[in-house]
Amino acid sequence: MKFLVFLAAIILTLGLLAAIVPQFTDCASDGKSVVLANGKSIPMKCHWSARAEIAVGVPILGIALGSAFSRRKETVRILSMLGVVLGALVILLPTTLIGVCTTPGMTCNTTMRPAMIAVGSLVIAASLCMLAYNELRGRAEM
Amino acid sequence: MSFGAFVLRNIVATGFRSAAILICVALVAGLALFTALVTQGSEQSLSKAKQRLGADILVVPRGSESRVQTALLSGRPTTTWMPKENLDKIAQVSGVQRASAQLYLASLSNASCCAVSEMFLLVFDPVTDFTLQPWLEQELGGPLKLGEVVGGTHVFVPEGDDFIMLYGYFLTLKANLEATGTGLDQTMFMTIDTARDMARISLSRAEKPLEIPPDSISAVLVKTADSERHAVARRIQQDLPGVAVVERPDLFQEFGQRINVVTKGFFAVLGVSWAFATLTIGLIFSMSANERRREIGVMRALGSPRHFAPRSLLTEAALLTGLGAALGLILTYCSVLLFHDLLASALNIYFLLPSVAHVGALLGQILGLAMVSVAISTSLPAFWISSGESVGAMRARI
Repeated sequence: MKFLVFLAAIILTLGLLAAIVPQFTDCASDGKSVVLANGKSIPMKCHWSARAEIAVGVPILGIALGSAFSRRKETVRILSMLGVVLGALVILLPTTLIGVCTTPGMTCNTTMRPAMIAVGSLVIAASLCMLAYNELRGRAEM
Repeated sequence: MSFGAFVLRNIVATGFRSAAILICVALVAGLALFTALVTQGSEQSLSKAKQRLGADILVVPRGSESRVQTALLSGRPTTTWMPKENLDKIAQVSGVQRASAQLYLASLSNASCCAVSEMFLLVFDPVTDFTLQPWLEQELGGPLKLGEVVGGTHVFVPEGDDFIMLYGYFLTLKANLEATGTGLDQTMFMTIDTARDMARISLSRAEKPLEIPPDSISAVLVKTADSERHAVARRIQQDLPGVAVVERPDLFQEFGQRINVVTKGFFAVLGVSWAFATLTIGLIFSMSANERRREIGVMRALGSPRHFAPRSLLTEAALLTGLGAALGLILTYCSVLLFHDLLASALNIYFLLPSVAHVGALLGQILGLAMVSVAISTSLPAFWISSGESVGAMRARI
């Protein structure tokens, strides 16, 4: 049970990172924007990826809290599976679904995208660990 | 209970101690891999950048040598000019096999006429060039036509466009060059005809026209016989007092020195951490052997073989080291792979990641070295618990 709470704490931290880090590592946070021909400024692509990461990061926090306080094996199993899916979404948003700016040297390319790949991979790994532990725990109890 | 299960139970039972050893080994192995990747990668990057320039001697206007080398290495644009007649004078210097002029230009910064901002533009003369031209002939089957360019690996056509627009002029990107890990990867290469045409068009279409001073060049690349390089450089310097001559080995010297400083620092930290980790692990296992005197005494009294206890201690150390080193190496490699650009800009050096085969060899070497170090550090406690004297003392205490 202690191990489950430990994994939940890791997922909680990762969820926070997924939601917060992109807000400070997109090009808008560097004061960069796309200037249209009419002089109007609009945010770059990475800004929308950063916004979308909030929508994925918050449910990850929910998963972490749910699995820390849940006693039922079925609930933990479903939460772990959701964790895997949301972890994959954390990776897919800045890489495929929305993307980041194309210029290689920009902050979104050097920091935000790799950070989200790392965070997403760790969420997947922690969720899989939780799933495996939950199944083994179940077997031991039987 | 089997030997393996006995060792595993020992590791789990002393969870905190095992975790401390695991983290210690992971950190040192990770630091070793990071140092090796940065050192070897930066040397490879420097050598590729020199290879890309392909000249034995670089001749630039006096006083601009540092600026030009920085521009070539970082991709941050610079402009510098000298009379075109210097090219003819250099070509006539005894020992010069080939000489070709280059022009260094810059794209405009954040201008709506330009698809890219502040890009270094390297202009070459296709008639005399001996650096890019052979590659172009081989890869594209012929020279670049008017309006065609090649770019470093990071130069791209903006999404949704078919051309790269510079100074209101549409350029076709024909190919990308192999990565060097330096600023040359974000440099655009074009012929002198394209540059002059772009300057002409820019007068009416760009926010600011592209200015190429008439009868001026930025640098001359010289090819010589290897044995004659230094003598030729000296002769050029004597004949043309207004220029600075940089020989191939001295190219990017400032960057080379920076690599030396950074890698020396890393090696110093690595050496200290490695020694400290080896000592700490030795100490932890000595404490472990000391704590387990009673247990070992009981096992010996019950007839367990003499080498059972030291073997279990060494296996425990090998397992923890192997796991810790593997964890540290995998995490470090993934981090360097993901945050390569961020690390390069934070350390202010350029480095290329080695090939997968090379990384595999590096991982094997570091893992082997970690195993040997821990074997040495645990051999003393292992020897102590196997010695008859200590066993006698244990038996006496039971």
